[in-house]
Amino acid sequence: MATLDLENISKSFGPAKVLHDIDLAIRDKEFVVFVGPSGCGKSTLLRIIAGLEETSAGRIVIEGRDVSREDPVDRGISMVFQSYALYPHLTVFENIAFPLRVQKMTQDEVSQRVARAAEILQLTDKLPLKPGQLSGGQRQRVAIGRSIVREPKVFLFDEPLSNLDAALRGDMRVELSQLHRALNATMVYVTHDQVEAMTMADRIVVLNGGRVEQFGSPMELYHHPATKFVAGFIGQPNMNFVPGTVADASGGGVAIDTVDGARLVLPVDTAGVSTGDAVEIGIRPEDVRLGDGLDLNIRVLERLGGVSIAHGALSDGTRFCASLDGNARIEEGVPVGLTVDPACAHVFKADGTVLRRQAAPALVA
Amino acid sequence: MMDRYTIPQKIGLYIAVAIFLTFILLPFFEMFMASLRPLEHLFRSPYQFWSEDFSFQAYSDMWETVPLLGRYIFNSIYIASMVTAITMAFVVPAAYAFARMDFPMKSATLGIFLAVNMFTGAVLLIPLYRVLRTLGLLNTYWAMIVPGVAFLIPTGIWLLRSYLEKIPRELEEAAYVDGASRLYTLRRVVLPLAVPGLIVVGVAVFIGAYAQQFLFAITFNQTRELQPLPAGLYEFIGYQSVTWNEMMAAALVGVLPVMVIFLFLQKYLVAGLTAGAVKE
Repeated sequence: MATLDLENISKSFGPAKVLHDIDLAIRDKEFVVFVGPSGCGKSTLLRIIAGLEETSAGRIVIEGRDVSREDPVDRGISMVFQSYALYPHLTVFENIAFPLRVQKMTQDEVSQRVARAAEILQLTDKLPLKPGQLSGGQRQRVAIGRSIVREPKVFLFDEPLSNLDAALRGDMRVELSQLHRALNATMVYVTHDQVEAMTMADRIVVLNGGRVEQFGSPMELYHHPATKFVAGFIGQPNMNFVPGTVADASGGGVAIDTVDGARLVLPVDTAGVSTGDAVEIGIRPEDVRLGDGLDLNIRVLERLGGVSIAHGALSDGTRFCASLDGNARIEEGVPVGLTVDPACAHVFKADGTVLRRQAAPALVA
Repeated sequence: MMDRYTIPQKIGLYIAVAIFLTFILLPFFEMFMASLRPLEHLFRSPYQFWSEDFSFQAYSDMWETVPLLGRYIFNSIYIASMVTAITMAFVVPAAYAFARMDFPMKSATLGIFLAVNMFTGAVLLIPLYRVLRTLGLLNTYWAMIVPGVAFLIPTGIWLLRSYLEKIPRELEEAAYVDGASRLYTLRRVVLPLAVPGLIVVGVAVFIGAYAQQFLFAITFNQTRELQPLPAGLYEFIGYQSVTWNEMMAAALVGVLPVMVIFLFLQKYLVAGLTAGAVKE
């Protein structure tokens, strides 16, 4: 039962506070991804869990045991670094065996464990080579191999795929997900790439400015972002934000006057807003279709085949992006009308927090 | 790679290199020529570049003129090797600490090391003499080894520190996460990767030790059997005459070991001194 609890973790470098009271409970065998823009503190948080940085305040609890002051190896964690951190002068075998050599394990045991790890990672024929003779993806697998031989309770990954090219990254994502299932271990994964977060995570922690913006499953974050930041970070292309004014908050939803004098009635909680408040309507590019409503002046049209991404501006100048049918009859420079499904829209107050949606789309059968 | 120089530029470059090398190598050449001349040639006018009676005679006579010559050459190499070994033993952990650890007064200490380097040994000879006398080290090998080590440690630390800093920190962090101690990491990860740097520093220290031993030898040591070659060369200066040709021959034979080392390690030296200059 490798649970990982972070209790009120704070971290300061001199006068600069980079982490503010981080409180997270990670379940056994869970794959949790820390995601956020650069400088949000996600790597620092991972290094704190690893024991490479000390906390300024707070506790790290693994399997119910406070490990805050313990060395990494005693915590039962292992870590895969962004640069792989392979030892260039050692063979792949010795690289993977390094943690076992440190423990002074017998040669038999070492060979056995390295062979098993190499088999899982399809590295068996690469064992006598040096890291310099391997491709990027193979080096990455060696780094993972080194982290699994010790059989730790918690695996930590620090942006492990960011040095790989796009195609390889896609393959490695799938491999890592399979590895997670095969090892049945708790994994914490740091990335700035929301696609990696969405595809691999059981739950995602969105960090911003050293604070947890939201902690939840990928689809929860997608459908119920707690803040404007999360809404803008999760989803590709990014969510559009259209300014509006609350016209009526007394009914079952909020009526908002927006661009072109359009009035949208959105089924969200009305608590905390009153008539006249400035709000922003969050509309995902994929939640609009051709029709009447907002007028979009298309400046750039990206036809990807399956979908067409139209970048442009609304009549008041607000930037807007729409993801439309691949064969949609639209052109650059020609305005089109867009219809927004009110059930799919989000409403954010001026402070960036969301008005909870009353209904989210159910999974389609 | 593209040829970046035009023909006239290349010619200019080669001329510049030739002038430079002439200045550096001419003394060696003249030493060699002098060693071949019979002694009476040296005082003859006009200067004769070549004559029939040039020979390698001096190279065999020198061993008889100065019977301890072999011993002096051995002493030179022995002292320089000991200085190098002891210096490296101090420099490696110190440079690692300066490269990786944080401690109070770190940059101040580094600055002091640099400042110490600016004193030549000559300024400190008298205090050093007193120290060595108090320690009872005068007239032993240690009289030449200990000051040698002391004066070479700062350079060694500065050279090796910058090399060690270029080894990615993540490698050590990875080892630390896997449970390796600092010393284990130093031994298994850092030092193997620092071998080119260690060779550079080792050679620099050896050459430094070879060059500086003269001063310490003539000041701190009166025992003939312990003198290194530069001090031993004095014995070619007799009461009646100076056998210049044999002295030159002995000097050339004496620098031979250093030259051989240079030839073999030149590749590492160039690589080490320019390490990190180019993104690999």
